[in-house]
Amino acid sequence: MKKIEAIVKPFKLDEVKNALSKLGVQGMTVSEVRGFGRQKGHTEVYRGAEYTIDFVPKSKIELIVIDELVTQVIETIERAAKTGKIGDGKIFVFPVEEVIRIRTGERGRDAI
Amino acid sequence: MQFDLGITRNGLREIKTRMARGAPSHRAPKEFLRQYSDLVDGLVRKAFWKAQSELPAPSVCLMAVGGYGRGELALYSDIDLLLLYSSSQKEDLPPLIEKTLYPLWDLGFDVSCSSRSVDECLAMAQSDLYIKTGLIDGRYLDGEYEFFRTFYDLFTKRILHRNVRDFAAALRRDLQQRHQKYENPEYVLEPNVKEARGGLRDFQVGRWVIRARHKTDRWDSILFPDQSRALDRSLEFLWTVRNELHLLSGRRQDDLTFELQEKIAPLLEFPSGPQGIEEMMRQYHLSTQRLSSFAEGVLDRALSEPGRMKRFLSVFKRKRIDPHFAAAHGEIHLLDPVTFKRDPAQLMKLFEYCQTYQARIDYRMEEAILEALPFIDDRFQTSQAVNQAFLSILRKGDEVDGILKKMHELGFLSRYIPEYAEIEGRVHYDLYHVHPVDVHSLLAVEELIKLREGAYQEKIPLLSSLIKEMENPEILLLTTLLHDIGKGLEGDHSIVGAERVGKIADRMSLSAEEKEMMMFLVNRHLFMIETASRRDLHDEGTILHFAREVGSLARLKMLYLLSFADIKAVGPEAWTAWKDSLLMELFLKTSHFFEKGEMRSSLLKEEEMMRGLAKSLPPEVFSRYAEDLPARYLSCYAIEQITHHLEMARSIETEQVLVEWESTDGIHASVTVCTKDRYGLFARIAGSMFLNRLNILEAQIHTWGNGIALDTFQVEDKTEEMERRLQQFKSDLNNLLSGKVALKTLLTQRKQGNGLQPKVIPKVAGEVTINNRDSDFYTIVELSGEDRLGILYEITQALTDSGSDIHFARISTLGNRIVDVFYVQDTWGEKIEGKEKVEHLKRSLLGHLASREETT
Repeated sequence: MKKIEAIVKPFKLDEVKNALSKLGVQGMTVSEVRGFGRQKGHTEVYRGAEYTIDFVPKSKIELIVIDELVTQVIETIERAAKTGKIGDGKIFVFPVEEVIRIRTGERGRDAI
Repeated sequence: MQFDLGITRNGLREIKTRMARGAPSHRAPKEFLRQYSDLVDGLVRKAFWKAQSELPAPSVCLMAVGGYGRGELALYSDIDLLLLYSSSQKEDLPPLIEKTLYPLWDLGFDVSCSSRSVDECLAMAQSDLYIKTGLIDGRYLDGEYEFFRTFYDLFTKRILHRNVRDFAAALRRDLQQRHQKYENPEYVLEPNVKEARGGLRDFQVGRWVIRARHKTDRWDSILFPDQSRALDRSLEFLWTVRNELHLLSGRRQDDLTFELQEKIAPLLEFPSGPQGIEEMMRQYHLSTQRLSSFAEGVLDRALSEPGRMKRFLSVFKRKRIDPHFAAAHGEIHLLDPVTFKRDPAQLMKLFEYCQTYQARIDYRMEEAILEALPFIDDRFQTSQAVNQAFLSILRKGDEVDGILKKMHELGFLSRYIPEYAEIEGRVHYDLYHVHPVDVHSLLAVEELIKLREGAYQEKIPLLSSLIKEMENPEILLLTTLLHDIGKGLEGDHSIVGAERVGKIADRMSLSAEEKEMMMFLVNRHLFMIETASRRDLHDEGTILHFAREVGSLARLKMLYLLSFADIKAVGPEAWTAWKDSLLMELFLKTSHFFEKGEMRSSLLKEEEMMRGLAKSLPPEVFSRYAEDLPARYLSCYAIEQITHHLEMARSIETEQVLVEWESTDGIHASVTVCTKDRYGLFARIAGSMFLNRLNILEAQIHTWGNGIALDTFQVEDKTEEMERRLQQFKSDLNNLLSGKVALKTLLTQRKQGNGLQPKVIPKVAGEVTINNRDSDFYTIVELSGEDRLGILYEITQALTDSGSDIHFARISTLGNRIVDVFYVQDTWGEKIEGKEKVEHLKRSLLGHLASREETT
C-alpha cells in the first residue's frame, strides 16, 4: 500500500478528483494549503500600495492505494493536473505500513 | 428483591414507551412531562415510605426541586430530591436516604438527594445561584408539611424577593457564560435544546426573574397576548423535540445531532428528506430566537429599572430632540406614547436617533415599537421619509450591525422588508453553513462594519482600505443584508434573489443605477469566489472573461467586499488565508484591466464584434470558435476579415499553412498567414520574407485560444516582382514549417545583395524597453530603431533564441524608423522576470538594432 500526496493548482482539483473517481478510487482527503517552490509568491500594486501574496494557494490531495493501482493513480493525477506552466505542483509517494478502519477494526487492504 | 417497588426495570421501560406512544407527546408535550412526573412521584413516595417503615423515623420533609420540582420531568432527566430536617437528628439521615434511593437507582433513575436543615438551606440559597434557582421550583412530596411551609415562606420573603437586581445580574452572567460555551459552530449546527441560546434553560431564567420580581408564576402576564401565545408555541415545540430526543436515544440526550434531526423531522410530520429537516430546523431557530429575546427582555427590565428618584430627575435632565423624542442617559425617550400610532414613520426616526445619539433602546421603547408593528404597511414601506432615514443609517455606518440586529429581533425588519421574513430561521442541511440565513445575513453586515472600523487592518489590508473609499456604502450594506433573500424559494437563489432585490429597490425609490448594481451583486454574489477558486488566474482569458462579466471597477470593488462578508459570515473557519490570497489576486489582476482603460474600449468593441459575428457566421462555426478569439485580435480587424480568417482556420486542418495576399499597386501587398502556432513561428515567417527581399512595414500577429496563429503583414517590394517573391515566400515557409529545410541553410545559400539601393538617410538610435508592469500575463517588449531589410527577422529570432514566445505583436514603420511592440512569455508561459534575464534580453536586442549601422 502506498500513500500518494499531490499538490496541485486549486482550479485543477475538480478535474483530478473526477479522474480519480473514474479510476475507482474510493476516498481521498483534500485540503487547502499554501506554500512556495519554484513558483514564488509575488507583489501586486494597487493605488501605489503594495500587496504581497507570499505563499501561493494550492490544493493538497492525499489518498491511500493498493500497490497495483499506484502507477495508474500517479499517471491520472499527472495528466489531470498538468497545464505545462510553472506551479503545476508535485506528487509524493510514501510506503504505508498499516491501515485500520476504526469502526470495524478491519486492517490492510480491506480497510482502504 | 428487598427494595421492591412493585415494578421492574423492564417494566418501567415498557411503561415509558407506552406513555410516549399513547400520550400526546407531540400535541401536548408539557402534559406528557406532567404525567411522567406524576408517575415518578408515586415511585419516589413508595420508596420513601418503605425506607421510613424499616428505620427509626426522624421527622423530615421530602421535597422535589429543579425541573422535577416544576413537574416538568423529561424521560431521562435528573431527579433532584431534598430532605429537610430539624437540626437534631442528623445521624439518622444517611441510612434513610440510602434506603430511599437504592430501589430508585435499581430502576435506572438518575436520582440524587441532598439533606439540609432549614437554616442550612436558606444560607446556601443565599450564596449559591443554582441551589437558589432549584429551590424556586421546589415542591412538597412527603413527610412533615410544616417544615416545607416554614422553609418556603422564609425562602421567598428573605431571599427570593430581595435584591432582585443582583439575582438578575447573576443570572445574566451565568447565561452569558453558558451561551459562550455553546456558540461554537458545532453547537450551532447541532444545538443543545436545553443549554444553548434560546434553549429551555433561557426560558426558565426569564420565569425565575418574573417570579422574583412580580411574585407570580404567570410569566405571560408581562407580555402582549400575541407574544405570549407565540412564546408558548415555541416552548411547546422545544419540549416536543426534547421528548423525542430522550425517547429515541434512550438516555439524557439534549444535543439535536444531525442523526437525530433526520429521525425526528418525519416524526413531527415534516416532509421527508433534507427539505423537511431544514423546515424543522427553521421552526427550531425561530422558536429559540423567541425564547432568547423573552429571557433577555425580562433581564433587561430587571436590570435597567432606575430608582424612582433617578427617574424623576431624568425628566429635567433630558434634552428634547424634536417634538416626539428626547435623549437622556444614553436612552431615547418617547414624549408622547401615541406618536408611533399616529405617525408610524417616526419608528425609523427613532432608530436614526439611536445611531446619532449612541443611545440604546430600552424595554419601554421596545414595547412601544412592538405595539406599533401592526401599523407598518405598504405606505410605510414606500414612504420617502422612512426610506431616506433607513439609507442614512446605513450610510453613516456607526453601529449599523447593532441597529439591524435590534430591528430584526423586534420583528421590525421583516415588517419593513417583508421578504426578509422568508429567510428567518432558514437553515441549510449541511456542515458548511453554520447559521440560519437571516443570522448569516446580519453577520455579513457586521463583518463589513468591523472591516470599516479597522478590525482587520493588519490581516486584510486591501479590503480594509477598499471599504473606506466606497462612494455609496449604504448600497453595499443593503445588498449584503439582502444577498441571500432568494433562499428558500423555488429556483436558483441568486436569480430569484436578484428579482426580489429589484422590487425592494423600487419600493425604496433607489436610482436606476443603484438598483442595477444591487441586482447584479445579488445575482452574481458567488461569481468571484467561484472564479478565484476554480479558474486559472494565470490565464489572461480567465481574467478577461471575469472582467467582462463584472463590467466596471466600481462593481468589482463591491463584489469583492460582498464576497468577503458572505464567506466570513458563514462560520469562523470559512475565511482562510487560502481564499484570501486567491480573491486578492483575482481582484488585483482584474482591477488592472479596468484601471488601464484599455479594457473598456476593447471590451465594448469585443461585445459588438461578437454580436456581429454571431449574425454573419453559421451557428456551428460561431459556437466552435467564438470562445477562442482574444479581445486583442477582435479589436484589430473588421467583421468581414474575421469571417475570412475563420474560413482559413478551418481549412488548415488539412493543410499545414495557408498564405494569401492582395496587392493593389505591385509594390505593396497585404499578406495573411494562417497556421498552427509553434515556437519561433514569427521568426521563421520574418526570415522567409527577408530571404525574398520583402520588407515588412507593418505586422500583427495573434495567437488564438485554440492554438491557431493568425498573422497579417504589410510588405513592400520596390523591384516590382511582388508576385514571384510572394510565391517563393510561400514555398519557403512551407518547407521551413514542414522541416524540409532549416532557415539558416536558406540564409547562407542566398547570401547576395538584397537588391535595394542603399540611401543616405538620418541615423536612428536604437531603443529597447522591457515592461513587466502593464500586463499581468505578458512581458511587453517595445523597441524602436532604424529600419532595414531583415531587421524584423533578426529581432524575432533574437527573442526566440532568448526563450521568449511571441503571443502578440504590432509592427509599424514610420519613415526609416521601426516601432515594434511584442507581448512575450517564457516557454513556461510566465513573464520574463529577474534582473539578469531582462538585462540580457535588452542587450541582445540593442545589439541587433545597432549591428549593421556601419555596413549600410
